[in-house]
Amino acid sequence: MKRRSFVSWGTAGLVAVCSAIGVSLGAVVRFLTPSVFYEPPQTFKIGNPADFSYGPPTFLAEEKIFVFRDPEKGFAVASAVCTHLGCTVGYFQSDERFHCPCHGSVFNADGTVQHGPAPRPLEWFEVTLARDGQLMVDKDRAVPANYRLMVAS
Amino acid sequence: MNPLREAWQSVVRRDPLSTDKGKSELIFLNVWLHIHPAKVKKENLKVKHTFYLGFITFFLFLILVTTGVALMIYYRPQSPQAYQDMKDLQFVVYLGTFLRNMHRWSAHGMVICVFLHMCRVFYTGSYKRPRQFNWVIGVVLFLLTLGLSFTGYLLPWDQLAFWAITVGTNIGSYAPLMGAKIRELLLGGHAVGESALLRFYVLHVAVLPALMTLLTMVHFWRVRKDGGLSRPVWKLQEEKSAQLVTIGAPDTSAALAAVPASQDKTYGLMEVVTGKPIFETVSMEEEEDTVFSYPYAFFREGIALLVTVATVMAVSLFWKAPLEELANPAKTPNPAKAPWYFLGLQELVSHSALLGGVIVPTLAVLALIAIPYIDSNPSRRPADRKWAIRAFTLFVVVNVVLIVVGTFFRGPGWALVPPWVHITGAE
Amino acid sequence: MERRLPQFFFALSMIVLALMLGAIWQAASPTWKTYQQEFHRLEAVGEPNAAAKSDVVNAALVIRQDLLPGLQRVDRCTTCHLGVEDPTMKNAPQPFAFHANLAPHVPAKFGCTVCHGGQGLATDKQNAHGMVPFWQEPLLPKEYIRASCGRCHKEGEVPGVPELADGRRLFETQGCRGCHKLNGVGGTIGPDLTEEGAIRRFPEWLERHFLDPNAVSRNSPMPNFHFTKEQARALTFYMLSLTSEQMGTYYSSVRLIPSAGYGRELFVEKNCIACHSIGGVGAKNGPDLAQVAKQHSPGWLDEQLVNPQLIYPGSIMPAYDLETNARKAIIAFMASATAEDAQSILSQRTRPLTPQDAAIEAGKQSFARFGCVGCHGLQLQGGVPNPNSQGGEVPSLLHASDDYTKEEVIKIIQNGKVPPVESTARPAAPLYMPPWKTVLTDEDIHRIADYLWSLQKKKDAW
Repeated sequence: MKRRSFVSWGTAGLVAVCSAIGVSLGAVVRFLTPSVFYEPPQTFKIGNPADFSYGPPTFLAEEKIFVFRDPEKGFAVASAVCTHLGCTVGYFQSDERFHCPCHGSVFNADGTVQHGPAPRPLEWFEVTLARDGQLMVDKDRAVPANYRLMVAS
Repeated sequence: MNPLREAWQSVVRRDPLSTDKGKSELIFLNVWLHIHPAKVKKENLKVKHTFYLGFITFFLFLILVTTGVALMIYYRPQSPQAYQDMKDLQFVVYLGTFLRNMHRWSAHGMVICVFLHMCRVFYTGSYKRPRQFNWVIGVVLFLLTLGLSFTGYLLPWDQLAFWAITVGTNIGSYAPLMGAKIRELLLGGHAVGESALLRFYVLHVAVLPALMTLLTMVHFWRVRKDGGLSRPVWKLQEEKSAQLVTIGAPDTSAALAAVPASQDKTYGLMEVVTGKPIFETVSMEEEEDTVFSYPYAFFREGIALLVTVATVMAVSLFWKAPLEELANPAKTPNPAKAPWYFLGLQELVSHSALLGGVIVPTLAVLALIAIPYIDSNPSRRPADRKWAIRAFTLFVVVNVVLIVVGTFFRGPGWALVPPWVHITGAE
Repeated sequence: MERRLPQFFFALSMIVLALMLGAIWQAASPTWKTYQQEFHRLEAVGEPNAAAKSDVVNAALVIRQDLLPGLQRVDRCTTCHLGVEDPTMKNAPQPFAFHANLAPHVPAKFGCTVCHGGQGLATDKQNAHGMVPFWQEPLLPKEYIRASCGRCHKEGEVPGVPELADGRRLFETQGCRGCHKLNGVGGTIGPDLTEEGAIRRFPEWLERHFLDPNAVSRNSPMPNFHFTKEQARALTFYMLSLTSEQMGTYYSSVRLIPSAGYGRELFVEKNCIACHSIGGVGAKNGPDLAQVAKQHSPGWLDEQLVNPQLIYPGSIMPAYDLETNARKAIIAFMASATAEDAQSILSQRTRPLTPQDAAIEAGKQSFARFGCVGCHGLQLQGGVPNPNSQGGEVPSLLHASDDYTKEEVIKIIQNGKVPPVESTARPAAPLYMPPWKTVLTDEDIHRIADYLWSLQKKKDAW
């Protein structure tokens, strides 16, 4: 019996099996990645531009965002989630800043950290105009603090 | 020494596979493989003797565990989320349909193969002394397989599942004394509902697989201790004159022949230990016909595994596991049928609840368990066991016929219908 | 065999690998991805420049779903039906076409299947449209979609869907409850219809059944009512609306459409005309409501409806327990009601009558409401076939006084009566008089007897 050829074919077979395992590992990771999320969507409409007032931002509790509307510059949407450990911040008209109730972080109107344990500024989300004229927020897309959406009134 | 080489050798501590020692060490130094003997008789490897059915059953079990765990990630055992999760598996989970199909067809395959394995063990007389109790463990494993299939059947929570389990648990409740109590414990209530779903789920993913694993370990261990895989010993007797050696039998009457052990044979430590000796029947010629488990047995088993996996995958690519509408306790489909492996029982029950549902099946299981103890014929040669073989064949045929009748010949109201009715869908 | 074993092993490994890749290939290109790519190409046409175009065309392909825990649904229709809220897609081919008149029923809050039917969980066309075995809610044909309004909007009229109110009216007046239970009241000869909209969402079948029951349901004891096509359609709409939707609080709070028509219904139900007038017509115990509606804001009116004592302490107006939208409806009615409305309401109600006439009128209402008409006929003529009963049909009640005393008739209504059979060799007659003492009060039964006696045809005098 030609032992060597026996072993090398068998080894080739083992290699084939191992590569099959490799392919399946990729498939396993894809399998484990959810295709749909049983959560509120990351992209959502918040209403018509006319529904939002100027001045202090509108706070949307369920979506945890602040909607700013500036008469000259347009719309901006900030996250209401503190970058320290995730509590919901509040906006105070008196000093025009965001205050976090959990550990005292304070954010300026542009989201930068004034003082407190927060490591990063508040996130700003992309807001665009949907085809039916409503404002659409996309939490998966972060934008710089000076991003504004101009809407013709 | 080169540190990499040292690191490698701290993991792989055997000699290279090119050496005999290495081949042996691969087997008995490895925790996963050392149930195998380092060397195996060529006769043990004969496909046409065992058909590798035991291996195939075990591999199907491994496929079931793997696909089962995968499915567990997307399945909730609650009503009605269970049904929604079945739909999600079909529509939004990557490879969801494929995995579910693999799970279902492996399950049916395992029930069939474990039954065929039992038939093979009977026909080759491999349950005879000293392997009687391993046969009993095998029967218990068979019942566990049915139990796993039955508990899993409920989980999709569709009409098919709900009513099959309703019928199945009702058949079980006919058992005297304990039947009603067992049904109550299984269902956690008076009828199939939320509690039943959760209990069946726990049984299906934890309790029964654990029992199956533990008993399988015993089953494999005993095969090894009883002398390894089955071989057509009678053929050897016919081919060679009796040159048989029995090592360690309690007395010569138990042996086919008693000849003083060879002076040339050396025995490794594992073969000579205190306590009960191994029952081993070895022919002198066979000693020369042993080969190393690696690569002979290794690759044969590997091929059996690949054939099993390939078959299950191929079937799963083309045949979809069924899913009917959401379970509706208020609407009984007509007919309401148990899973196919219980249809024979359901057919019997339709004639007589106590006799058909309880007495006959109980007697059948008891008779199965008793086979090795009532069979006093020491020969395994088929020619010497004609009546035993005929009796068992009758048992198999009756089972198959009952299941076929229950599947194809019974329609609404359990009335007899021609079998093609199911194809034309005129229900 | 020994020599070829490794080749065999290798070949099998390749086969397993191929099967694995086959499974991956099967899962890799679902049809919804093709639809999304096509939609992105359509969208790109409207983009101003190449960069924007390329952004749109290369957008990620994801399954989109509307999670509706309040309606206990998950709808994935917008995975393919991407243009539903995009007005620029007005002329796009399906499945991308724009859905006009969607507000306020936006997909994010309502999904699609609650109106259209289908299988929301699915992501391919056949399954999503419910055109598969074992899915009992297929896509509704276009002409019946409006019937779904009735799944939530069960009270009052639904603007644009007169069939629902018509169907309900037909159901109550044609005596259907004589054989069919609805919400616990009715007979047991036919199936319970409380969930009919959930069990049988097959409008063509329903309509054919109303036009001729025996044509679709062999040997059905349901008589042919000779409905017109419009009546059959109205009844079909009503049947499709008979579901018990589990709704979260948001949906139950907006369910009632605050229309003036519904307000009128409530006005009549709560008997407001007993104390108020409209445009001078009606009672004078309280202020004229048309006047009041002109002088005060809807907010004020709403407060008054919630708690009359708040604004007028000591007022005899009861505090009606009405939902927000019910109050809105009444206020809408008040704002638009005229003296003619008051007049018609007055004429429809039972005028102050003698106790005898009142009892007869009440008996007539009960006779119609509880379905007696279904077997005994609107003119008490009977005639519904009842095989193997003596006489072969349900008897006319116009000559009941010939064979029974009033007390005996009252007993029959209370306890029921199985008709004597013609021949014991044949199966028993399917129709029988059910007992009503657990459903109707004794007073109700006496009034029905009064009503029957008021219509008795006397034997021709010799």
